Amino acid sequence: MLQMLKRRIDEMRTIKTLCTAAERHANADGAREPGLEHFLLAALDLPDGTARRAFARAGADPDGFRSAVARQYADALAGIGIAPDAAAAVPSMPVAPASGPYRAKTQVESLMRTLAAREEKRAGAGLLGAHVVAAIAAERHGVAARALARMGLDEDALERAALAEADAAAGARA
Amino acid sequence: MIDLPSPDQPEEALAAVVALRRLADQLERAAVANAIRQGWTWAQVADALGVSRQAAHKRLASTLPDTDQE
Repeated sequence: MLQMLKRRIDEMRTIKTLCTAAERHANADGAREPGLEHFLLAALDLPDGTARRAFARAGADPDGFRSAVARQYADALAGIGIAPDAAAAVPSMPVAPASGPYRAKTQVESLMRTLAAREEKRAGAGLLGAHVVAAIAAERHGVAARALARMGLDEDALERAALAEADAAAGARA
Repeated sequence: MIDLPSPDQPEEALAAVVALRRLADQLERAAVANAIRQGWTWAQVADALGVSRQAAHKRLASTLPDTDQE
């Protein structure tokens, strides 16, 4: 009973860390509300290290994700004839953190629901970065999905790698 | 000139929309920051953007971290 309570508190703490870090990544990126790409960056920051190991297991450098996001924007603009130089000439300024209640893109709500729905399954280890990677890798559309594709990552492969990494970490902790 | 992505490629077209909105936001913030720095009032900025003064201030004032101090 106490064990379960402790696990739930740990999970809530991890969610809070994730949300705060995602907002920081979004603000630094000039966006007020974090999207899935910012939550993926936040997952890579988590001290459990499983998100980074999931990328490595799938054959990609986790540090390449941020630049893949930028490349994905540049490619999308180039596709309609806006040269990368022209887009890069517009200064990208960080925004101040929003005050008031926490706000994120709609897709983040569905990420949170997915993470909550899978709580039972991760009984041993609690919420890990790899769980977040697995949930985001399953999304087929949007900036995060396009950035992952730019890294040459197959989404199914990344999802499998993330779940394997989460299992390995759970086994080690149990 | 803008080359419209072909309609049979909705993924590319929608990604372009997202990237354009982001670029427009960046351009708006940079331009408004410059205008305020040069002494424009929020009313003038709002007129130039075609929005109400309240809307311009609410949407942009908090995203311009340095303008208040300068």
